[in-house]
Amino acid sequence: MKWRKWNNIIHRDLGYLCFGLTIIYAISGIAVNHIDIWNPSYTIERIQSQLAKPVSKEQLSRATIFEILAELDETGLYKNSFRPDPQTLQIFVEGNTLTVNLGTNTVLQEKVTPRPVLHQMNFLHLNHPKKLWSWFADLYAIFLGALAVTGLFVLRGKKGITGRGAWLTTAGILLPLLFLGLYL
Amino acid sequence: MKKIIFALVLLIFSSATSLLAFEGDKFGKPLTLTEPTKVSEIEKSPQAFVGKRVLISGTVVEVCSTRGCWLDIASDTPFEKIQAKVTDGVIVFPMSARGRTAYVEGVVEELKFSKKDALKYQRHKAREKGIPFDPATVTGPQTIYRLRAHGAVIEK
Repeated sequence: MKWRKWNNIIHRDLGYLCFGLTIIYAISGIAVNHIDIWNPSYTIERIQSQLAKPVSKEQLSRATIFEILAELDETGLYKNSFRPDPQTLQIFVEGNTLTVNLGTNTVLQEKVTPRPVLHQMNFLHLNHPKKLWSWFADLYAIFLGALAVTGLFVLRGKKGITGRGAWLTTAGILLPLLFLGLYL
Repeated sequence: MKKIIFALVLLIFSSATSLLAFEGDKFGKPLTLTEPTKVSEIEKSPQAFVGKRVLISGTVVEVCSTRGCWLDIASDTPFEKIQAKVTDGVIVFPMSARGRTAYVEGVVEELKFSKKDALKYQRHKAREKGIPFDPATVTGPQTIYRLRAHGAVIEK
């Protein structure tokens, strides 16, 4: 049949075309699914250390901040500082946030680094770029829909949509409905 | 004629300065307000600002590390800050925003929590920050004022 030939051609070529983005969405999908137990986009390294000299709460100047940074060998670009409460000083450096406890002279450093590859995948998957990417992602979604529909009619006979395919397709529709029944 | 030219020059100059004031990475809807409201004013009498659209500015002192769905903006007075919350996924603030100056526009909202809900909320916030949560810090019902943000510009 002529329509089946075209169906298979569309299914095959869309499959090739969508491969890259499907892999990105699949990996990123698993990563962001478990956002409650880990950070899928950044690694946050926390380092606790003790300052040698006590820092005066009253005389906090830019020079004091640079002394603290020098003692901790922090050479990143200094951005700003903040006092969340009288006991605490926060220092913001490129890629690092230092929280100084002015009572105990302890410092908690939070070094934030984007996870290689995963950060970029999540960036695309979660549509952070917006703009043109939104349209491209819509197009990809349409292609995925077309892939799914054409996939139903690739094979004829026992393994096609009138045989085994019918059972598996029904299961694929029922499974999300089952979860809706359970959780909605 | 001179008056028209003067008005035009003034208009161009004022638009240019307002545009220059918000140079940086843009998030969400474009900012429509030009005059920032001091965070300290909102903190001082939050009820007066509930439901009002405001523009605030200040240093970003914390960012939601998991979803990028909120920012804490330092107040102009010491030891105070305000949270700017966005709908998850609509705007995603990067972690690199910490320490940078932000201009955020949105509507001030009031959240009233029972003790039980406050515990849930603070536990959730602690998890987002990746810090341990001490339930003893919640002693009763809480009222939180924050900005439901629609757009922001974060200086580079």
